[in-house]
Amino acid sequence: MNKKIFLDPLVDNNPISKQVLGICSALAVTVKLEQAVVMTLALTFVVTMSNVIISILRNYIPSSVRIIVQLTVISTLVSLIDKALAAYMYDLSKSLSVFIALIVTNCIVMGRADGFAMQNNVKDSFLDGLGNGIGYGIMLILVAFFRELFGFGTIFDIRIFSESFNNGLMILAPGAFIILGLIIWAQRSLTSVVEE
Amino acid sequence: MKNKYIFILSITFVSSLLLSLFSEGLKEKTLFNIQLDKKKNLLQTIGMNTDILTTDEILKEFNDNIKEITLDLSGNVLSDVNHDQFVTKENNATGELKYYIDENEYLPLFLSETMNAIIIPISGKGLWSSLYGYFAIDKNNFSTVKGITFYKHGETPGLGAEITKEWFKSSFTGKEVYLDDSIESIKVTKAGQANENSLYEVNGISGATITSRGVEDLLKRDLLRYENYFRKNK
Repeated sequence: MNKKIFLDPLVDNNPISKQVLGICSALAVTVKLEQAVVMTLALTFVVTMSNVIISILRNYIPSSVRIIVQLTVISTLVSLIDKALAAYMYDLSKSLSVFIALIVTNCIVMGRADGFAMQNNVKDSFLDGLGNGIGYGIMLILVAFFRELFGFGTIFDIRIFSESFNNGLMILAPGAFIILGLIIWAQRSLTSVVEE
Repeated sequence: MKNKYIFILSITFVSSLLLSLFSEGLKEKTLFNIQLDKKKNLLQTIGMNTDILTTDEILKEFNDNIKEITLDLSGNVLSDVNHDQFVTKENNATGELKYYIDENEYLPLFLSETMNAIIIPISGKGLWSSLYGYFAIDKNNFSTVKGITFYKHGETPGLGAEITKEWFKSSFTGKEVYLDDSIESIKVTKAGQANENSLYEVNGISGATITSRGVEDLLKRDLLRYENYFRKNK
């Protein structure tokens, strides 16, 4: 049972490719792999911690103000990450900063807090947060892999194709849409899942 | 239902306490990073490769090679004012930075005796954001370009953000900003249209015409601010 909570969001119920949530950042920070990896770490931290904290507080949170409480917890965590990045990974925070702040509005975080952590115990909520964060990351890294490879001809800034190989379409948002669409199509035709 | 308010209040109290502690604790380190990044960029304009240097080496190279100088608006060197005292104000329409102490405006300048260069701060609007950087020219003729960098911007990766790439920055090196006795500055043309033999043109960025034009505009405007100083010392 516990295993399923963690494994389910990795592929079968992936927040991006199955539930189609968090698309905004999946389009924005997948230009380069390095950005995608840091974004994954940041989001996994936020969704796991917010799940744990909300789950601890779940019996005390008055239901009429639960969304406000969740938002407060999430935005506090995001601000902490933002500040930590600026202090310890300044170059990266320069290229990511606005997207880190936008984790607050990522539907995955809010969705897991309200949909799962409010009803489940701390251990399960932790696993659920971790699973969803990593599931999100798998998709992000997959998309970033193709975009960086075909857009710049590099992988983690290591040159694979020659310098003149530079595909503007992949670098811009339409490239992310196309790749994400192809991945979702591939997954759905392989698992023959049909949207109700 | 009093409970509800007490709960919200305590949650916000705990998070704001946490955030302010965290922020205060990391403040010094963050400010240090910002300063270090600027120093790195200054060193890059005079042709130093800072990627291979450690933090201590960067600080040492900076102290060895670069001196901060302050000018008044008519171009006189003031010895009793240093850069830490400035209050910076940005013109939101143009992205131009101005430096004040009380109500008086000053111009910051960096001098590198060792590399024979002066460096001026540059800033202006690109497409989405303001671009901030440094521009170095020869300290004897105030014309030959030594280098350009941008340390902060919010342009699109792969397009406008190419201004921080080596190919774009190095295309400025060796160009001239003075034509006869007036500041001609450097034209950033459409991609691929710069005349290779011209000392006053560089290629712009394909797909980022507005950012390219922004670089051209801010360069000319900021050079003109220092014209008095150039004329006096030429």
